[in-house]
Amino acid sequence: MVVGDLVIEILGPFLEFLEPLIPGEWFPLYFVKPYFQRPLIAAIFVSMVAGFLGSFLLIRNLALIGDGLAHVSFGAIAIGLIVGMIDPLYWAFAICVVAAILIDYLQTKQLLSGDTAIAIFLTGMLGLGVIATRIWGGGTLSSVEGYLWGNLNLIDSDSFEFIIIACLASYISLVVLYQSLLLISIDPIAARIQGLPVRFISLYWSILTAAVVVSMVQFVGVLLVTALIVTPAAIAQLLSRSFLMCVILSQILGVITVLLGLYYSAELSTDSGAMIALVSATMFVIVAVSKSIFTRFKASDNNSN
Amino acid sequence: MGIDFVPVCGEEILSVSKLSVNRSGNEVISDINLTITCGEFIGIVGPNGGGKSTLILTILGVLKPRTGNIKIYDHAPTSNLTLGKVGWVPQAATNIPQNLQITVKEFIQLGTLTRKSLFQLRKNVREKVLKIIETIGLEEYTNTRMANLSGGQRQRAAIGKALASNADLLLMDEPMVGVDRESRNSIMRLLDDLCHEQNKTIVMVSHDLASIKRTVHRMVYLEQKIRYDGPTNTFPDLSDLAELRGIEATHPGKGSNQNSKVDSDGIITIIIPNKLEGE
Repeated sequence: MVVGDLVIEILGPFLEFLEPLIPGEWFPLYFVKPYFQRPLIAAIFVSMVAGFLGSFLLIRNLALIGDGLAHVSFGAIAIGLIVGMIDPLYWAFAICVVAAILIDYLQTKQLLSGDTAIAIFLTGMLGLGVIATRIWGGGTLSSVEGYLWGNLNLIDSDSFEFIIIACLASYISLVVLYQSLLLISIDPIAARIQGLPVRFISLYWSILTAAVVVSMVQFVGVLLVTALIVTPAAIAQLLSRSFLMCVILSQILGVITVLLGLYYSAELSTDSGAMIALVSATMFVIVAVSKSIFTRFKASDNNSN
Repeated sequence: MGIDFVPVCGEEILSVSKLSVNRSGNEVISDINLTITCGEFIGIVGPNGGGKSTLILTILGVLKPRTGNIKIYDHAPTSNLTLGKVGWVPQAATNIPQNLQITVKEFIQLGTLTRKSLFQLRKNVREKVLKIIETIGLEEYTNTRMANLSGGQRQRAAIGKALASNADLLLMDEPMVGVDRESRNSIMRLLDDLCHEQNKTIVMVSHDLASIKRTVHRMVYLEQKIRYDGPTNTFPDLSDLAELRGIEATHPGKGSNQNSKVDSDGIITIIIPNKLEGE
């Protein structure tokens, strides 16, 4: 619990300092009690990494890989809980890495197209999770279903530790591999010719994606993971003038989405994951509509001159 | 104007000997020899399926030869020593996804990546990228998104990306596809300058006979084998080409069994006589 405690120790006082400035009746609770601080910090960390990763996933046309891996992790978590594992996240991470590598392999060998490989893993593991819970689950059923929709109470100090380490490691890797990942996403053959270890980086990339997805299933929920990976990056694409700007904006938008989502879910006492997904989709609609109005306005302005 | 070091002119840069390559079971290239010296500007022409792209990909080390070998500066294509010496401008380099918000500067910077620079903090990359942008004449568009450029400008950017690794040998696969006629000429001028002023060696695969004939020094006609290899001014007319290919000469527009024609842009379309070859 070393890293997790350290992060709480550093950021805790800062959050408490912010508390009087925070609007709302229930939302400020996230800033005072360590029990609530954990999900808030985890959500902010995850949303930044997810936005960063999402910008790359969109240009590789792999928007749904997050969804696929989240469903795989659901199956894995269900089985982990039935077997009686205390830390289902580590177990889910291991299974997701295997699934991500297999999906990547099937794609590069062109045995299946990207979406097809993802669809097969997605449905298969979701089915496995549900059936296993029904047959052997007994009392675990309700806690497994918590993972489907996301529940902040699931983030205990063990999962918090996992989430923080996974996010920090992924974030640093993304910064270091930024150029290489961009080149591989645009033109894998050129990357190979320039001598980049394309196979290795793709493999590492699969592990990264699995880590990010697994760290967000607890509070966004399996069914809604894509909301934080794809939507902020898609909004950023609409607004950006360069790829760097896209990467930075999608992180900022991710954090805004999470804060607004948690605020509304606390005030209206609804599911956090569903609210985050709803907020991000609403933001996308607002930005897309105002952008198209703006461009049309600008075009007619030019014509009248 | 030279970027880092200028290779010695006349030195042998690429040698292909007794090369045969198979693709999905068919022999696409059979037993060809080709030697290219530094500073040459070579056009490779031939029909679709004649092995042009296959040759390029084999030189790059992406495809493995069935027999024969390829040496770049006397080393194998995948060797560490030739890393970065070969630049590649892919077919359809101008196809950049519309949703990719990448600027010209960011795009060209990707070309500077190599195995060694993966983890290193890279200095001087900025200046190098700006210098290349100047060379390819896109200064005005340094921070413009690739998606907003014209076909010709994108092609320039793709050439810049290939140059960014200090490549001496530039392999270009159909660079004139999706580029309007006027830009074609200016791109050919750019390539000619690169060749003369920076001693770059350029190998260019093209359908567009007319525009390359004006600029390149040497032409190679590749259709499974090399049927012509020599100076541009003695490159045969199309009717003689048919003779080279061992096929009955036909004239454009005459008869239904024609296997090649030239359109108004001087682009040769050759209907591949797959069956003819087999019979």
